[in-house]
Amino acid sequence: MVSEYGLKLAVHLITTHFGNIVANVCENLLRKGPLTLDQLIRFTELKREQVKNSLLVLVQHNCVQPFQNQQQQDAAKTEYMALFDNILHRPRFPKFLDIVSRKLDDECVELLDGLLRNGRLTLQQMADRASEGKENPVAIDVVRESLCKLLAGQYVERCPAPEPVLFPVVEETTTRKRGAKSAKIFQPPLTIEQRVLEVSVAGESIRFSLTADTGFNADRETNSDDCPMTSVEDAVKEELTPWRANFEEFMRHLRHKALIENVRTRLDEGAATILSAILDATRTAERKVKVQNSVPLSLEAIFTEVVKSENGRTMTIDRVKASLVQLGCPSRVPDDSYTIDLKNIIELARNDEVESIVLKRYGPYAYRMFRLLSKANCFLETDKIAESTLVEKKEAPRLLHGLWKDNYLHMEKLQVMASKQSRFVMWKVNKPQLWDYVLDEMYHAALNLNLRLGLEQEKDVELLSVPLDKINESKSLQKKFERRRRVRLLLGSSLMKLDDALMLFHDF
Amino acid sequence: MNGGNKRKRQDMALAVSDSLSNEERIVYNMIRSKENMGIWSGELKRETTIPENIFKKVLKSLEAKQLIKQVVNVQSKGRKIFMATEFQPSKEITGGDWYSDGKLDIEFIDTLKQLSLGYLSRQKVATVDMVLKFFKESGAFTVEVSNQNLEEILKTLVLDDKVSEVKSTGFDDFAGVPPGRVCYRIKSKIGGVREEKVGAMASIPCGVCPRINFCTPDGVVSPKNCVYYDKWLDF
Ligand code: SF4
Repeated sequence: MVSEYGLKLAVHLITTHFGNIVANVCENLLRKGPLTLDQLIRFTELKREQVKNSLLVLVQHNCVQPFQNQQQQDAAKTEYMALFDNILHRPRFPKFLDIVSRKLDDECVELLDGLLRNGRLTLQQMADRASEGKENPVAIDVVRESLCKLLAGQYVERCPAPEPVLFPVVEETTTRKRGAKSAKIFQPPLTIEQRVLEVSVAGESIRFSLTADTGFNADRETNSDDCPMTSVEDAVKEELTPWRANFEEFMRHLRHKALIENVRTRLDEGAATILSAILDATRTAERKVKVQNSVPLSLEAIFTEVVKSENGRTMTIDRVKASLVQLGCPSRVPDDSYTIDLKNIIELARNDEVESIVLKRYGPYAYRMFRLLSKANCFLETDKIAESTLVEKKEAPRLLHGLWKDNYLHMEKLQVMASKQSRFVMWKVNKPQLWDYVLDEMYHAALNLNLRLGLEQEKDVELLSVPLDKINESKSLQKKFERRRRVRLLLGSSLMKLDDALMLFHDF
Repeated sequence: MNGGNKRKRQDMALAVSDSLSNEERIVYNMIRSKENMGIWSGELKRETTIPENIFKKVLKSLEAKQLIKQVVNVQSKGRKIFMATEFQPSKEITGGDWYSDGKLDIEFIDTLKQLSLGYLSRQKVATVDMVLKFFKESGAFTVEVSNQNLEEILKTLVLDDKVSEVKSTGFDDFAGVPPGRVCYRIKSKIGGVREEKVGAMASIPCGVCPRINFCTPDGVVSPKNCVYYDKWLDF
């Protein structure tokens, strides 16, 4: 479930990108979950045509996914589902472009830019776009070549099935298996959103292949990889296949980057080099973005990969081994392979972010107590906390209470009958809950930053139409101009940094 | 407490109680029975059931005879706590080694922290014993600092994120320290620029704003009229 301010931020982004009407439709989908066209018309009180057009825009930009819901008995209806994550990705497009510009040529960056701006494009549309403003039209083959490169890096993917069918969940066998199997870790059932996404995505080999036949249509298995091309007609259709940026790959890339950066500051350059090599080597084997552990790799394979990298060229195998120990991974005995606990690195980074808020907002004593509780990861009693942190015993309850009031701590009162001093107050940092809370505060902060940025841009907007030499003549104009520039720079860079933190708490 | 000590105390108590009035004896025995925990005057009165006016006199006289003393309770300074003179107040009453007169001795703690940081910044790593040895040799203190006291100081430095706790490997920086021994290492050298890890939230006004829960896009408190932002963007 998306938190309140996450929702508000998403609606704000859609409003600024596509206007109020589209945002109205989107907000209803975000708040109420998947809806049919008729329901949307009722809730938004807009005209049918307006809702339809809004949906077209949202689908085109990958912010909404339609699907056929066959879960109920009655006739299947098309429902529309908002894709919160994809909406939040929109301000990240410059980051995505930056990634590709470091790996591929300018033509690829151009092509990706077109996809990000337009949401989805066919090969023909890409070619038309590339030819815009040029004397000679760019040949479709040239565009195809760039697309192939982007596909090879999985930066671009085939658009998902336009309207996948969601069948009722088949209950697992009712006879309860006892013993080892039933002791399996409980997996929460997938939400409707997750299931729709799962059925809409093409199998790996089709998803990133330019030539494969998709076989996507309403009454065919959407998920199978083995639909041979049947006719020339299909080949022609190929030209009409829409493509889009593969956000998953970009998020994986950004997650890896965050992991490596964190290890670099926490440990050292060597450990960062090793982690980077491991993640590079196993990138394509990662099945989703939020993988808990790195894919197991033998020491030999790691070493080969490390010496390939620029920083790792001079490393010895002993140095690699030492770094692996630093990274907290003793080799696994059976096959001598190593795997790194990535989730742990992410969690340490989250702790840092939260602690730095506590320090700034509540001061050094509260910070010290908070860190004690965060490390202990269990309930501690007020006096015990004060003693272990050398904080004045009369001051400690007040500070702890302040943190609790703002949802940064969990508190429980304990009544012990037999003892003379019968009431204890116990405190704890409940991390998962706290992270959700901090994430919502971050969405709130991001929304505020966006609003303020908008306001600052409106202010002194007439400055933009003043010719440069006029500005240079007047001191006061110069000052205003300079202020505007610095404000935009500060707000913009703060937004980017905050967005990194948002990803750390939501996507990684 | 050893046996001899106990006997001595009993003898003393006998001698004392001879010279006391009846009420004095009752009150004194009650206070004494609480040993190093002492007893709150309110509870004392309730338990001994002596009328108010006499009760006060009795306490005065016992104090004058130096048989009992008042001690400050760190938990509730308003409450009068009485204790027999022969006992030293317990940790629960005083708050422990770091408290004097019921108050945390912040100045003393800070001095110890600063000195420890100073020493650690000149060392690669150091154990508690090494820091203690330095303290003793420097002669900076007339007060005795125990090994345990110092460990507490170093642990708070770890919580302050100024020092990290590491285990000796016996090699390199740890040469001379037996492997497995807990060591402390400074996170940044004093004087050098310490890279403060300021998070994304902590570096913007909303991230540290006390009013964030009252702030809405179009409310009375909003980013559009926010004083914190005005200050932040005041170039
Ligand atoms: S906009 Fe201003 S008042 Fe609102 S949360 Fe941010 S700093 Fe606080």
